[in-house]
Amino acid sequence: MTLTRRTLASFLALFSLPLAWVLLLLVVPYAIMISVGFWTRQFPLFHPDFQFGNYVQIFSDPQYTTVIVRTLKIATFVTLGAVILGYPLAYFLVFTVRSAALRNLLYMSVIVPLWVSYLLRAYTWKIILGTDGALNSLLVSTGIVDAPLDIFLYNQTAMVITLVYIFVPFMVMPLFTVLDNIPRRLIEASEDLGVGPFMTFWKVIFPLSLGGVIAGATMTFCLAFGDFVAPVLVGGPNGTMVANLLQTQFGTALNWPLGSALATVVLALVLVLLQLSMRLDRAGRVDLA
Amino acid sequence: MRMRTLKTPMIAAFAAVAITAQTLAATAAELNILTWEGYAADKFISKFQTESGCKVTASYVGSNDDFAAKLAAGGGVYDIITPSLDTVPMMRLAGFVQAIDTAKVQGHDSIYPEFSKNSDFVAEGATWAVPLVWGSVSLIYRPDKFTTKPDSISVLFDPAYKGKISLWDDKSAIYWTARYLGYNNVFDLTDEQLDAVKAKLIEQKPLIRKYWASAGELTELMANQEVYVSNAWTGLTSKDVNNLKKGFEVVEFTPKEKAEGWMDSMMLVKDTPNQDCAYKFMSFMQSADGQCGIAESTGYFPVNPKAVESCMSDELKKERQVNNIEFVKSLVMWQQPKRLDKYLEVWNAVKAAP
Repeated sequence: MTLTRRTLASFLALFSLPLAWVLLLLVVPYAIMISVGFWTRQFPLFHPDFQFGNYVQIFSDPQYTTVIVRTLKIATFVTLGAVILGYPLAYFLVFTVRSAALRNLLYMSVIVPLWVSYLLRAYTWKIILGTDGALNSLLVSTGIVDAPLDIFLYNQTAMVITLVYIFVPFMVMPLFTVLDNIPRRLIEASEDLGVGPFMTFWKVIFPLSLGGVIAGATMTFCLAFGDFVAPVLVGGPNGTMVANLLQTQFGTALNWPLGSALATVVLALVLVLLQLSMRLDRAGRVDLA
Repeated sequence: MRMRTLKTPMIAAFAAVAITAQTLAATAAELNILTWEGYAADKFISKFQTESGCKVTASYVGSNDDFAAKLAAGGGVYDIITPSLDTVPMMRLAGFVQAIDTAKVQGHDSIYPEFSKNSDFVAEGATWAVPLVWGSVSLIYRPDKFTTKPDSISVLFDPAYKGKISLWDDKSAIYWTARYLGYNNVFDLTDEQLDAVKAKLIEQKPLIRKYWASAGELTELMANQEVYVSNAWTGLTSKDVNNLKKGFEVVEFTPKEKAEGWMDSMMLVKDTPNQDCAYKFMSFMQSADGQCGIAESTGYFPVNPKAVESCMSDELKKERQVNNIEFVKSLVMWQQPKRLDKYLEVWNAVKAAP
């Protein structure tokens, strides 16, 4: 097909803005980031160059690999936590709650926290988990413990709890949509054929909802992987995540080249992850037609 | 008549526009300061604003390393920055600041010459920084949680206080540890010494509850009983925590390995469009209002003894070490580490360690 003058004009009218957006705010910045990754730090600033020293440093100095592995671990726990909490919740909303009004209300109550500042919500956990916090007051006043415990705050568990709480809506949203779109006749057919509720779930509902699980897990994992606020607010001395390292390189250390190289490594990791999730999604797709 | 009715509102409109434009021009005089919490307290800043007609906007840093980071990310936003002694040379070397004409800073002559003529301040035949305020970093603790009064930095490394210790999230953690290990060349440590410092700091990590990133965070950690001992900006944290009246007190002490001394100074950001306001501000900060104002809002020490002559009581003068420049000698005054990059790398490695 050749583009006539008219189709070209309408093509441009429709797509020039999003294309310019992608080019100016995504492609160009990524290109700059990747190229700065090859620059050289020279006190007090840095200068353009082409060398691989920054990458050598990232992979040879254990401080960077330690933090990357730690971040992958925490993001994995957050994702698992979000699935364990989010799936039953979405299932309950779609299949157990009969009244549509109640269902919408409950669904909204899961989503509404997203309107509150992220910082505020993370900060609240500090008040709950602290030595003088709400959880400790409860434990002490009910006599479960004699003195306040300091095991709740300023460690990796506190970070996982906070991040799960914050990102659970991103798991519930796609799951809710996917579960809601499963044709009820399939479930009825399964039941008519004498299959029990668990096997109906396992053989019919779960496979059909896998796309939602993968979408939610990918989103939660990527968000948790890039988080830098939870470590600062509720993390302890060993809570540094990869985004904090990036912040340090662009901030205190003033080593943009090393920071850019590190950001490129993070970008590559996320791209691999997205590729994996897309493949999983394709493999698990069931044709409903 | 018809003409007149039409004209009057038009004149009124023109007048309104002219007046608005004039007010806009008057309020357009502004000054953006990148500084520390407490350094732009409303009490004295409002006085400066009325006197000078310059509108002040202050942004805050949590550590000295933030100055370069913020200026590198896009200058032109700030007119005055107030880094500490150990960061002043770097600002000049990086080309973030311009030389200061001390003739335009009223009261410059009465600043302690030990400060204003510091070799990091007067370099390349020009003056680069005007002293603002100074003080020390000492240790702070909860007397009700200690059976004996601590007198050494070793308290920060004592397993008996596991999980109740905090430390400033700053490269100065290296200075403290180096002194604890008995090194005197704190700002010029060898590779072996830095390795020993790093090992000691990593060994200390399980004892640390949280590294504090801002004065506000330390106040919170102390007030919420999360920690019992830490290093702290002398004057500020103890005042803030004790003001909260939580039913316990915190007390400052100087360890036998010495406390640290710092001095913050005003530097003029390169090519600032608000030079007039900047010089007015520097002059104001050397006046009685400025020096007593900042000393009151922070608990730190004035740099200009003549300025505080009439606005401080004798008792307060003694407490704030006015004319007691000898006190400086009892402190380890900050310097820019010879190998700043190496120090930062060590501190980052400590924080990243498992």
